[in-house]
Amino acid sequence: MPPKSETQPSSAATVRPDHVYDSIDPIFHLLRILPFSFLRPPRLRLKLPNLTLPSAMTVYSLILLTYFMVVSGIVYDVIVEPPGIGSTQDRFTGSVRPVVFLPGRVNGQYIIEGLSSGFMFVLGGFGIVLLDLALDKNRAKSVKVSFASAGVASIVISYVMSMLFIRIKIPGYLG
Amino acid sequence: MVAKMDKSATDLLTSPGVSSLFKSLKLKTKQQELLIRVTILFLVYVLAFITRLFSVLRYESMIHEFDPYFNYRVTQFLTEKGFYEFWNWFDSESWYPLGRIIGGTLYPGLMVTAALIYWTIRFLRFSVHIREVCVLTAPFFASNTTLVAYFFGKELWDTGAGLVAAVLIAICPGYISRSVAGSYDNEGVAIFALLLTFYLFVKAVNTGSLAWALASAFGYFYMVSAWGGYVFIINLIPLYVMVLLITGRYSMRLYVAYNCTYILGMLLAMQIRFVGFQHVQSGEHMAAMGVFFLMQVFYFLDWVKHSLNDPKLFHTFLRITVTCAVGLGAIALGVGTASGYISPWTGRFYSLLDPTYAKDHIPIIASVSEHQPTAWSSFMFDFHILLLLFPAGLYFCFKRLSDATIFIVMYGLTSMYFAGVMVRLILVATPAVCLISAIAVSATIKNLTQLVRAKGKASHSASGKGTTSSKASSKGSLDQSLPFQRNGAIALLLGAFYLLSRYAIHCTWVTSEAYSSPSIVLAARGAHGNRVIFDDYREAYFWLRQNTPPDAKVMSWWDYGYQITAMGNRTVIVDNNTWNNTHIATVGRAMSSYEDEAYEIMRSLDVDYVLVVFGGVTGYSSDDINKFLWMVRIGGGVFPVIKEPDYLVNGEYRVDKGAAPKMLNCLMYKLSYYRFGELTTEYGKPPGYDRARGVEIGNKDIKLEYLEEAFTTSNWIVRIYKVKPPNNRSLKCVGIALLISSIAVTMSYEAAKLIPTTSSELWLCFHLGKARSVASPGFEKLI
Repeated sequence: MPPKSETQPSSAATVRPDHVYDSIDPIFHLLRILPFSFLRPPRLRLKLPNLTLPSAMTVYSLILLTYFMVVSGIVYDVIVEPPGIGSTQDRFTGSVRPVVFLPGRVNGQYIIEGLSSGFMFVLGGFGIVLLDLALDKNRAKSVKVSFASAGVASIVISYVMSMLFIRIKIPGYLG
Repeated sequence: MVAKMDKSATDLLTSPGVSSLFKSLKLKTKQQELLIRVTILFLVYVLAFITRLFSVLRYESMIHEFDPYFNYRVTQFLTEKGFYEFWNWFDSESWYPLGRIIGGTLYPGLMVTAALIYWTIRFLRFSVHIREVCVLTAPFFASNTTLVAYFFGKELWDTGAGLVAAVLIAICPGYISRSVAGSYDNEGVAIFALLLTFYLFVKAVNTGSLAWALASAFGYFYMVSAWGGYVFIINLIPLYVMVLLITGRYSMRLYVAYNCTYILGMLLAMQIRFVGFQHVQSGEHMAAMGVFFLMQVFYFLDWVKHSLNDPKLFHTFLRITVTCAVGLGAIALGVGTASGYISPWTGRFYSLLDPTYAKDHIPIIASVSEHQPTAWSSFMFDFHILLLLFPAGLYFCFKRLSDATIFIVMYGLTSMYFAGVMVRLILVATPAVCLISAIAVSATIKNLTQLVRAKGKASHSASGKGTTSSKASSKGSLDQSLPFQRNGAIALLLGAFYLLSRYAIHCTWVTSEAYSSPSIVLAARGAHGNRVIFDDYREAYFWLRQNTPPDAKVMSWWDYGYQITAMGNRTVIVDNNTWNNTHIATVGRAMSSYEDEAYEIMRSLDVDYVLVVFGGVTGYSSDDINKFLWMVRIGGGVFPVIKEPDYLVNGEYRVDKGAAPKMLNCLMYKLSYYRFGELTTEYGKPPGYDRARGVEIGNKDIKLEYLEEAFTTSNWIVRIYKVKPPNNRSLKCVGIALLISSIAVTMSYEAAKLIPTTSSELWLCFHLGKARSVASPGFEKLI
């Protein structure tokens, strides 16, 4: 409601009398009588921010970020609070060696392994997006070639690494 | 398959032989396409069914796990007694002494569906047993889900995406895990109902037709009758409508679709007794009602804008109306919540929004292994390649935004978030992930095949046609980009097929190894690699059924309640329904107390037998000793006498010599390890070596005072103990009373001898003697 009483003085002085009595807003009339009959609002140069909806691709990049977090198991990290990386002690030398993948269970992880696997998945998805961008007709040929090769490389790396991770994690995988 | 008879007739006449026959069967392109589509869908239908049959082929046709046994028992009751008996059933065989109103506390959709299928098959004069129908209900509905996925994909994108979606969802492990043959549980039917409701609603929004909206309401009714997860639908659809309103996609089609679906769906949902009036009373359903009123406001504003030709006046009116509407809505919600009419979000669903809530406040919810949050490997295990295709599919949906693609994006994102919070909900996310991945696959393959086919046509013409996209293959390019484009596209197509084939191999391996175990029958590899089967659970339940009195009450941890009632046919104290936390806490307290305190509790509950599961001999790790800390936590949540630190040593849970003294003497420890100290379980290890924990137990010399061992299965997995009745103490009291009365009688007789004989004396002697003769039989027995 306050913006309305501010725009009223800022509009043209000649138009003012008509607008005041034509308004159908009851709250405006109430405000006009009660505080603003003896109070004079100051002249401000405030503008309401123009709220526009973000573009589709902005939303898409935000979604990609959220997907990365969810698929890395961030909820698991927050609730179970596993260490960032596990450690095991070598029986003979006594030195402490790091263990990246939590062994023994399918539904368990350390933080770092979750994040790296999530990154691989997003990389693979992004590779397919790059492939599609490479087929867009309105780009220079060199750009298209680089997109296509980057896309194929991303997909291949992502798939190979994901398979490697799952083989390390689950020893009996596929066999 | 209409052959072109007029053309082929002349061909047949002119050129006889195989070639003319082939020409007569030549179809038009559209018909070829239809034939290919129908064939693919038929193969996918059969594939979805047979990939779920691993456990039936390996073991036998039986019901798996715990919850399906309750569903099976209820379905048996329904087919025997009829629908009205079922709907009004009060079961006194579980939750003794409280009983359970079964008709009013379950979702009847699954049982009614199975019963209908059973009666239909019986009507066709095939005599099947209800167990076979129950075992195969879930694969049958999985096949139907693939068909719905096809139509949904067709609605979202095109027929190619529909076909890919059907194939992906047929073998996706996330869905197979809960719909394998034998897993007779609500989710098997509910995922079909979920996808059907969503498909019908999106169709209604796309077409604006009242018929589709009505169908969607009935689909929602089926979902409400099938599973408690219907809350997801009744919150996702209003959220979707809100997003459409915010992005400026309000239309008459949306208005018709949402209003009809919401009102009719709500009325139909109230027919299920378990749901009751929750649609107007529960906080979880308020979002739908709020959006309903918001739609009316939008319609009203649209109508005013249409009849009012002044835009400035309309803006003022708009501001007033929106303020009033939002204000009134907030006031109504506030009054409803404050007065208690609108109940707050229940713990189960609130823990989805705030995942840390269950860990701190509700140990029962936190203890279920399926409710744990999801790690990346669970996602990978259940989705494989779909995790890579999901972001790509989202990109394609964002490229071509429409009402339908906005819906699938929202479904995918919300369900993936919930799947991250709870492992069990990967099931709900599976259809969305399959559909979005199908869009990615279909769009990519379409691009690639267009390259192959377009360049194929152009390669016949002059080679200087370097107009459109040029994708050089990674092997380096020569001057002519066109053949390399084509070769590159073909190579990428082959790569795509390779990835999809790896997906199929992964899914089949996961289904075979991980998701086809019946849980009630355990299998392990013997010393020589042969498969050893442990059928101890069923052995114990049938022993109970045949060797205990019919009104015996069995106390066990709530995991086994449904199985004991269904297979052992005995009354249980607590079962998997877990509706009464205090009752479960009482059982937990009994299991964690010393034997005498536990005996008091068991007497108060009229317990005759106690059943524990013990994995120390076989190395089975899901036994009661591993679950014991949850019993302590749940019992301690209601009875502060039970304190968790009493059972731990330095925060560590141990059962060997260094364990806490309360742990070594509690009822659960005694019942699990009774006589175990004499048993040698592994070569080279001392007797009493617990193979599941990997330690030698601390207290080997266990004596039971109030219980006695009734039965132990052949691999010591299930152990049943009989609670001794309290006869000892009453016999002692009777004996002492008789001794005192005899001494009193003798002394008074000696005293009476000194008094002159009168009739009164005779009367006294006679009566005292009579009392003595009555007392003497028992007294003599005692001597």
